[in-house]
Amino acid sequence: MTDEAVPSWEEVAHRYGRTIYNFAYRLTGHRDDALDLSQEVLLRVRKGLRSYQPGSFEGWLWRITRNAFIDETRRRKRRPTVPLPDDDRSPLGVAPGADEALAAMRLDDDIQAALLALPIEFREAVVLCDVVGLTYDEIAAAAGVPVGTVRSRIHRGRSMMRARLS
Amino acid sequence: MTHPGDLLSALLDGELTPEEIGAVSEHLDMCAACRAELEATAAARTALRSLPVLDPPPGLLPGTAPVPRRRMLRPVWGWVAAGAAALALSMGLVLGTAAGPAPMNLDGFSEQHTARILVQPGVQAVRAVVEAP
Repeated sequence: MTDEAVPSWEEVAHRYGRTIYNFAYRLTGHRDDALDLSQEVLLRVRKGLRSYQPGSFEGWLWRITRNAFIDETRRRKRRPTVPLPDDDRSPLGVAPGADEALAAMRLDDDIQAALLALPIEFREAVVLCDVVGLTYDEIAAAAGVPVGTVRSRIHRGRSMMRARLS
Repeated sequence: MTHPGDLLSALLDGELTPEEIGAVSEHLDMCAACRAELEATAAARTALRSLPVLDPPPGLLPGTAPVPRRRMLRPVWGWVAAGAAALALSMGLVLGTAAGPAPMNLDGFSEQHTARILVQPGVQAVRAVVEAP
């Protein structure tokens, strides 16, 4: 998307909705939480587009997405809830007896669990880098921190993941 | 150079300048601990990037309607037919044929029973309210 163009809300939802949902799912680890968060992000985008000034659209979008996650995390800290186990594995479409798919599913679960064990700042940096595919500069802009901090968070996050998975 | 630490992830992500790459590579040549750390970091990075991309639930994106809930109750004639079959069985009117017993309609069977399970708690709850002193 060019810097000059101001997209419509529908265009944003079509183009980024899936990535926003995956970002939300990897950060929260739950389908319903990810859906709530994605809806909140798209709502903020709809409101924000009215006053959006052409510039780095993706920087703007991921700042909104990231802020929605942080706000939701703070809200939950004030009103803690116990999430129900998320047993929906339909995206993989595992058939009974498919050993390889089952092993992959377990591995995915382990990776997701290790991700959820990371402190929020590290989890956010790692997901924006490895799941969303942003550069360090883009992550720094979204999170409002220096690039050196992003570099440190990503490396420490990956080190913790590795220690937990091994 | 001291141990590169954070620069190892940046190296894997292509976020270093040519000078930094040269310095880190030089260090890696002589430091087994950092080579092991680079390998472990690369493994974690690969694991994260191998996670499947999930489809959002229907209804999140414009133009995708939520999946309608499956209807659990059968049409009236289905119940009538099922009742008639049960009555016939209880009266001993259904006899074995030369071709053997007719195959059971498992779909219909599970739907009837699921529907009863769904309705029954509601009936009991209403009864409890009505019969309460």
